[in-house]
Amino acid sequence: MTPRRDIGQLPVETRYRGDKMDGIRVGKRVIGTQAPVIVGWENIPRVEGGPVKRFVFTWFQPTMLFALLAFWFYAPNSIAKASTAIGIGIGVKVLLLGLEWVNPRYESWRLTWKELATDLFYVGLGYTLLRIIDSYIGSDVMVEAIQRSFHWDKFRWFMGLPLLVQAFLISFIFDFGQYWMHRGMHNWYPLWLPHSVHHYITQLNINKGAVGNPVELFLIGLAIGGFFDFLPRAALLAGAFGLAIGTYQHINVRFNSPRWWRFLFNTTEHHSLHHSQDYEATRSNYAGAYIFIDRIFGTCIDGEAELLGMEGGRRMSIREQMTYPFTEGWKTVRVRYARPALTTGEPTMVAAE
Amino acid sequence: MNARFIDWIWHVRGSLALAPEQSSEEAFDRLDPLFRETGTSHERISDTLVFRKKDQAAQDKMSIFDGGVLQIEKGAAGRVLRYHLTSRALLFCFLAPLLFVGIAQLTMVVTKLQKPSSEAAGKAADAKKAAIKAADVPMNPIDKALGAPAPEKPGKKGADEVKGRNKKPSSTPAYVFAAIFATLYVAGRILEDRLVRRLFRKRLLGA
Repeated sequence: MTPRRDIGQLPVETRYRGDKMDGIRVGKRVIGTQAPVIVGWENIPRVEGGPVKRFVFTWFQPTMLFALLAFWFYAPNSIAKASTAIGIGIGVKVLLLGLEWVNPRYESWRLTWKELATDLFYVGLGYTLLRIIDSYIGSDVMVEAIQRSFHWDKFRWFMGLPLLVQAFLISFIFDFGQYWMHRGMHNWYPLWLPHSVHHYITQLNINKGAVGNPVELFLIGLAIGGFFDFLPRAALLAGAFGLAIGTYQHINVRFNSPRWWRFLFNTTEHHSLHHSQDYEATRSNYAGAYIFIDRIFGTCIDGEAELLGMEGGRRMSIREQMTYPFTEGWKTVRVRYARPALTTGEPTMVAAE
Repeated sequence: MNARFIDWIWHVRGSLALAPEQSSEEAFDRLDPLFRETGTSHERISDTLVFRKKDQAAQDKMSIFDGGVLQIEKGAAGRVLRYHLTSRALLFCFLAPLLFVGIAQLTMVVTKLQKPSSEAAGKAADAKKAAIKAADVPMNPIDKALGAPAPEKPGKKGADEVKGRNKKPSSTPAYVFAAIFATLYVAGRILEDRLVRRLFRKRLLGA
């Protein structure tokens, strides 16, 4: 894992020099040449305020994680159900919206009415239209097919493991799949097209994870998380890992995450860098929950960015978000397969004078 | 029918009295920075300012509006700024509940179509799943020592599982979102009206 070694000796922040920026060498690459980024934990702003506020925003994340794990570990069978998990999920999101209000990371990421309405539109699509599509061609069908052809007796050893180990493995397998799907999206043009829309967001808020072209949301949903629903308690505990860790990818709250937390888990800091306007910075921090997967494969950069988005932070309308992968793909195909005469830019015929 | 009966849905109108000594020129100069945002074009012709916005940044204080006209008129009590702004965001939010009610209807049609096949699939899956269940495998001693509740006995759980996996899409979330957007519209129409008024006032009166 290359990044960490160089960080201490390097400049705090990328600096403007006229219209160009120096960038920071992180391992073999230089990031922050196109837009300002911060690299290294010691350079990231801390929670400001009194001791109580600092205490709360230091220990909030671990407390929530352990509280949720304890709840799902001990909840009686009558409560340990998917519907309870949905309720808790919504409750946590509302609470986090409150925290965004109280302690924002950046003023420029402040949730406005329009941003909230846009984000909720995508959340709404996820809960309704995408569910219908999934029931026909998506993950539901895949899980069904796999479960039916599975040799169940070979699975006994897994079911005999301690619950928390089962839960961690379920969420880890899921996240490992997400990592490669996500990395694939950033490296293969046909997958990048639908994912690119999500990178046009210019601020991080609690529902921004839902914003994207529906084709991408469908692809992300293909991960077979539902496969483990025959282990209800372990699956619910795995969901708690996702909720208590993965949610912090898109949120406008300043936390002093403990060192061990940010070493193991994806944080807003990591994910803001991934959404930076700097191209090289976006090619990092692909994991959803477990940043140590990025550390293993050399794609982790510990840092933060405020200026997010593509094309210098152009905000895309919902209409364009819906059509962009198709129109952009079509443009590329036309350029690629156009007859040479059309691509040279030279007129093929000259009008008679 | 006069469009004004319905265009309040996405049109925001209002007026603000200028300070007695403030000229139109000075008032527009004070408002000028608001129209220098990315994606905004504007034109000033004597007492009128017309602006358009496209792909406005989320951080733009007037991002909700796509265009508008600001005019300074001479009233009985002095000069008055009248503004007339349009917002597609408000219009779409007003229409969003209809979209979600439509989705709810679609869900019900789909559920009806899926009924026979999903019941059959449910039975097949249940038969297969009966091969092994969490309750069949003894609990790990660590979990036992920590006091985790034992998994439910088969039978009852089987029914739950089928319900969980082969769940037919429900129309409830679509109705919930229709209600959310109706509420959001009302809140937005009131809030954004006030915010833009406050923004103009602050700019005009501020130092």
